[in-house]
Amino acid sequence: MSITKKLIRFWPLYLMLVPCIIYYILICYVPMGGVLLAFKDYSFRKGIWGSPWVGFRYFQMFFTSYDFPRLLKNTLIVGLIKCILEFPFAIILALLLNEFKNEKFKKISQTITYLPHFLSTVIIVTMLQRILAPNIGILNQFIGKLGGDPGTFFLMEPKYFFQLLFSMDLWRNIGWDSIIYLAAISGVDSALYEAASIDGCTRLKKIWYITLPGIRGTIGLLFIMGVGGLLSSGFEQIYLLRTPGNMSVADTLDTFVLKMGLMNGQFGYATAVGLIQGIVGLILVIICNRLSKRFTGVSLW
Amino acid sequence: MKAKRTVNGRSKIKSGRPDQIIQVLIYCVVIGLCLAIILPCVNIAALSFNDGKDAAKGGIYFWPRLFTLDNYRQVFKDGTITKAYMITIARTVIGTTASLAVTSFAAYALKEKELPGRKLLTILITFTMLFGGGMIPTYIQYNKLGLVDHFGVYVVPGLVSVTYLLMMRTFFESIPESLEESAKLDGCGYFGIFTRIVLPLSKPVIAVVGLYTAVNHWNDWFSGAFYMRSSRLWPVQTVLQQMLTRAMANKEVTSVAQAIAQNSNSVTSDSLKMAAVVITTVPILCLYPFVQKYFTKGAMIGAVKE
Repeated sequence: MSITKKLIRFWPLYLMLVPCIIYYILICYVPMGGVLLAFKDYSFRKGIWGSPWVGFRYFQMFFTSYDFPRLLKNTLIVGLIKCILEFPFAIILALLLNEFKNEKFKKISQTITYLPHFLSTVIIVTMLQRILAPNIGILNQFIGKLGGDPGTFFLMEPKYFFQLLFSMDLWRNIGWDSIIYLAAISGVDSALYEAASIDGCTRLKKIWYITLPGIRGTIGLLFIMGVGGLLSSGFEQIYLLRTPGNMSVADTLDTFVLKMGLMNGQFGYATAVGLIQGIVGLILVIICNRLSKRFTGVSLW
Repeated sequence: MKAKRTVNGRSKIKSGRPDQIIQVLIYCVVIGLCLAIILPCVNIAALSFNDGKDAAKGGIYFWPRLFTLDNYRQVFKDGTITKAYMITIARTVIGTTASLAVTSFAAYALKEKELPGRKLLTILITFTMLFGGGMIPTYIQYNKLGLVDHFGVYVVPGLVSVTYLLMMRTFFESIPESLEESAKLDGCGYFGIFTRIVLPLSKPVIAVVGLYTAVNHWNDWFSGAFYMRSSRLWPVQTVLQQMLTRAMANKEVTSVAQAIAQNSNSVTSDSLKMAAVVITTVPILCLYPFVQKYFTKGAMIGAVKE
C-alpha cells in the first residue's frame, strides 16, 4: 500500500492523534525551543526572538558566581541521596516481602507500605513539621522520655536537613518502588529455586544467585531512568522543607532557578541554569544507558 | 509436601535455626517499617481531634486527650478551605476526564502498527521524558497561552503523560485483532471500533490511568502556587502549602505558646492545620483500599513496557 493510500485509510486515527500532538507541541516542544532564552537578554516586550543575543554570558556568570560551588554541592548531595542512596532499599523490601510465606501478612504490609506514595508532599511536610516540633512534637517527646534533650528544632538545623530529606523520601517511596521489583521477582522461573533447594542452597544464597540476577534487567532500567534526575530531583521536598535555619543547605539548582526566574525576573539567567540541569541529565542517561548496554545487555533504546 | 517435611524433619532442626532467625528478622524489619508509616499518621489524626490549646502543651501520642470536633468545625466554617476544596474536586474531575479522553485517543491511534509516522511520533513523545525546556520557558509559554491565572493551568499541562500513554497503548495492543476485524466487516469505522469494542474491554487500564491522574490532580500544589497569582482559584493543597510555608518562615511552632495566651478559643493554627491535613487526605484513604489492586496492576503494566 502506498503512503497516500495509507494516509487516506488512517485519517480517523490521525484525527484522534491531533489533541495529543498539539499538546506535545505547545506544552513540551515550544518550551524546549524556549531554551534559546539562555543565550538572550530577554524582555517581555520584545519576546524571545526580538531580544538581543548575549552568547554564553549567563553560563559564564553562573560558573564564576559565588553561589555556584554551594549550589552544585547541595544539588549533588540531594541527587546522590535520591538516585543512589535510596535506590537499594526498595529492592531489599521487595526481597523481604517475597520471603513471606503468610500471604495475608504480606498483603497487609504491602497495603501499608504503598500508602504514603499517595500523600502529597505538602501533607507529608505539614505532618513532619508537627511531629518534629520542639518539645511538643511526638519525636521530641520520645527523646525526652529516653532522657535526651526534647528541644531539638530539627527543621531549623542545617545538619539534620539531608537526613530528614532522605528519611522522608524513603518513607514515602520505599513501598511503591518495591512493586516493580516484586513483579519482576514473580517472573523469575520457579524451577531454578527448586533446583537450588535440591542442591542445598540456603535462602540467602538463593537470593544472591537466583533472584538478584533474575531481576537485573529491571534494576538496570530503573537505575538508568533515575540517574537522569541527578541534578534536578527533589524540588518539592526541598522547597517545602526550607526554613530560615537550613537555608544554607536547602538551596539547590532548582530552587535557584525558581528564585532567579519567577521571583527576580532574570529569565535568561534562570533558563541557562535550567538548561545546564537538563543537558547534564540527558548526558547522564545516555552514558548510563550505553554502559548498561555493554555490561548487562539492558538498555532503554 | 507433608511427607517430605517429616522425612526431612531431622535435617531441618540442623539447618532450620538460621532460617528461622532470618524469618523472625524479616518480620521485625517489615513490621517496624509498617509501624513507622502508621504511627505518625495516627499521631496527626489524634492531634486533629484534640483541643488545640491542650495539644500545644505536648503529650499527645496516639489518642486525643481532650476530645473535640472544634478544629473540624473551624475548618469548615472558614470559607477559604471549603472553597479550595471545591476547586480541587472540580479540577480533579475535569482534568482526569479530559486527560483520559486525549490519552486514550492517542494510545489507540499509536497502536496501529501500519500507521505512517507512528515510530517518529513515539520517539518524539518519549523524548520529552528525558529532556524539557525547564521551568522558565515553560512559564513563558503558559503565559503566552493565557494559562497563567486561569483555571486551565490545572487541566492543560497534565493532559498527556508519556508513561500513561505507553501503558494504554500496551494494553490496547493486547486486545485480540480478530475482534476489531469482525467489527470492521460489520461496517464499523475506527471511531466506532474504539468506542464500542476497545473501550469496554479496557476498563482495567482506564481505571488505573484514571486513578493515577486523579491522585496527581488531587495532590498538586505547584501549579496553584506558581501559576495562580490570585488566591481565589487555589486548590486546597496550595492553601495548605501557603499555611505551611508561612509557618516554616515565622517559626510559628515555637510561638504556639503565645497563641495560647492571646487566644481564648480552643483552636490554634496548629490544630486547624492538622484537621485540614486529615480532611484533605481522607478521600484518598477511603478510596485507597478499593483501588489498590488497580494501582499495583498499573505499576506492573508500566514496568513491562518502558
